[in-house]
Amino acid sequence: MMSLPFVLFACGLGAAWTSRREAAMGFWVAGVLVLLVLFRFHATDVLNLGL
Amino acid sequence: MTADLSRLLNAWGLVALDTVLVLAFADQLWFRDLPCPICILQRSGFIAAGFGLALNLTFGPRPSHYGLAIMGALVGGVISADQVLHYVVPGSGSYGNAIFGLHLYTWALISFVAILAGSSVMLLFDRQFQSALPLPPPMTPLPLSAVALLALLAVGNVASTLAICGVGLCPEVPGGYLIFYENLGLAFKSP
Repeated sequence: MMSLPFVLFACGLGAAWTSRREAAMGFWVAGVLVLLVLFRFHATDVLNLGL
Repeated sequence: MTADLSRLLNAWGLVALDTVLVLAFADQLWFRDLPCPICILQRSGFIAAGFGLALNLTFGPRPSHYGLAIMGALVGGVISADQVLHYVVPGSGSYGNAIFGLHLYTWALISFVAILAGSSVMLLFDRQFQSALPLPPPMTPLPLSAVALLALLAVGNVASTLAICGVGLCPEVPGGYLIFYENLGLAFKSP
């Protein structure tokens, strides 16, 4: 699960390497979305700060 | 700024970003300083930001590619800022080794801000986007190596993350390489 963003970014770089720009950008968007979801799962502690 | 100069600057920027990821691997493998789950997400953020620079090198400079670099650096910066805020209060502890007095997540935040600043400044130069060529010229060895290394680091991080976390979510404090611990009964303990 945690390796999924890397997999998507690697696929995106592979797509860029083979001159498929739209596919590369699609993999990038998918990778960032997964990254944000994983951050949501892991950032569960409340920050001990007074703002 | 010409497209050629822009490509050269993007290539050096990507080399710098690759170096950050290589150093993170060196810290992990040489000093056995296993990355925490949030640290792994920060590595993803670096690759997301570097992706935009890699597209500039592969397809020629475009504002949308800088947009990817900026958004990748924003996401990575938010993640590293979250970790910095966890440990910013004196006595609240830290994670991992300090390098030159700062922990890796603090260096990551500084690096993400540098990527944001660099990409924003690069966007100011319009002439780089006015290429007369329908297709970008073939990459020279420096950009080619930088893009290839980024791809290699992405694949390396797939293997590393699978080894540390297995196929699920990572343990909050990784005690070793889970994949070996679970399958072979072997584990490196972080110091």
